[in-house]
Amino acid sequence: MSAAQIRFATLWRREVNRFMKIKKQTLGAPLLETFLYISVFGAALGSRIDKLHGIDYVVFVIPGLIMMAFSTNAFTNNSSSILQQKFQGAIQDQLSSPASPAELLLAFSLGGFMRGLIVAVLTFIASALLVDLPVDHVLVLIPSLFLVGFFFSQLGVLIGVRAEQFDDVAFAQTFVLTPLIFLGGVFYSAALLPQPYETLTHFNPIYYMINLVRYGFVGYTEVSIPLSLLALTAATAAIFLINLRLFSKGYRLRA
Amino acid sequence: MKALDITNLEKRYPTGVEALRGVSLEVAEGELFGLLGPNGAGKSTLIHCTTGLAQPTGGSIEIFGNDAIDNYAEARQAVGLAPQEANIDWFLTVEETLDYHAGYFGMPRRERRERTRELLETFSLTEKRDERTRTLSGGMKRRLILARAMMHRPRLLILDEPTAGVDVELRLELWHYVQKINQEGTTILLTTHYLEEAEQLCDRIAFIAEGQIVAEGTSDTLAERFEVPNLEDAYLALVGRKELSRSHIELDPEVAS
Repeated sequence: MSAAQIRFATLWRREVNRFMKIKKQTLGAPLLETFLYISVFGAALGSRIDKLHGIDYVVFVIPGLIMMAFSTNAFTNNSSSILQQKFQGAIQDQLSSPASPAELLLAFSLGGFMRGLIVAVLTFIASALLVDLPVDHVLVLIPSLFLVGFFFSQLGVLIGVRAEQFDDVAFAQTFVLTPLIFLGGVFYSAALLPQPYETLTHFNPIYYMINLVRYGFVGYTEVSIPLSLLALTAATAAIFLINLRLFSKGYRLRA
Repeated sequence: MKALDITNLEKRYPTGVEALRGVSLEVAEGELFGLLGPNGAGKSTLIHCTTGLAQPTGGSIEIFGNDAIDNYAEARQAVGLAPQEANIDWFLTVEETLDYHAGYFGMPRRERRERTRELLETFSLTEKRDERTRTLSGGMKRRLILARAMMHRPRLLILDEPTAGVDVELRLELWHYVQKINQEGTTILLTTHYLEEAEQLCDRIAFIAEGQIVAEGTSDTLAERFEVPNLEDAYLALVGRKELSRSHIELDPEVAS
């Protein structure tokens, strides 16, 4: 391995090691949370709800839950990790190393991405054991999940870098991210909403992400798949470039 | 060769505070250089600019000929920093702290293991190797920070008040270690508030005040320049507190008898 490869692997390993050391909180809790959602919305309420667009309600809900697990864990991990290291001053060890802004950004991003991926995969395995979960369009599903994970990893980095106190991270998660996810159609079909709520839902970017992942699993969508993929790719690239600029300028990282 | 070559360095914070106002400084390879000055004089800002933790707003810094901005990777590779604050990661163990640091500097695994073992031994941290850093005492944290700074075998070691708040035993231990690695060829930039430390260890010393280097030389030449008998009095003259000189302290006759 070259020195640059060792450096990047170490930066990334540190991020993974951080969440693996507190598995109960970083992996166990989100898994339990998703299991509870499946139990309440899928099994308990689902038994009283007819099929949605010809799909069992619990099967309709699970793709959104997997997407939600991936995105919230990727976001939370990165925002917390960066803010915590800024607080402790420990981030100075990475910042004073020869690592480039791109290396630092990617390593921080991939930490959250890995955590989100692990939770999403475990949720998928647990769901597949409980219900008959199809994977209809794997070639849409994999890039969609990859982009969703990377987008929220980047968003977590952005919030973590900007944050000056833990309240800033909590605000973004509680008052922005969670409402957008819940109102993006994880638990329902926006097509069944009355106006103006159906139209309003189309202004929620999470709605398109949920539809992409749902289409990958069960083949049902309310939006254009190619357009949604294109928009998500553009949004992910844009947030990556914004973060790269912040890291290059040392914004709120270097004095 | 110059280990550190700082020219007209300026740092103005977004708040408008001018922490450095045209600092120029040269540290020769192999030198043990002391930087003294009162709190807020600009010592830590200078160090942060040198190590990439702060971004200069003017001037230049070269580390072994590499510009700290344009060739930051080569420049930072040559520098080890033991900062004033215990900036260690609470999630990591002592051993991981050293291992990760060396990894950030591209050191291969086998070499990292050997170097970690060696420094754990040197800094009496072997028994603590598996402990989380947050459980360490202040002295142990200080040892760990120094060991971490040494992990990648830097050619220029920057020690920002390394002995602040440590007990006498550790202070002397550190002095011995600093002298040893300096004799082995490591250039050292030391900031300290302990003047006897600077006097005993440093080849040359610079006084910094209000973001400017106001005097530079050996301990003796500084004393001569301020027309006082020693470094401590020179420092007191610099900060405008000559009246605190030990030579002015008269024993109370009653106490003395």
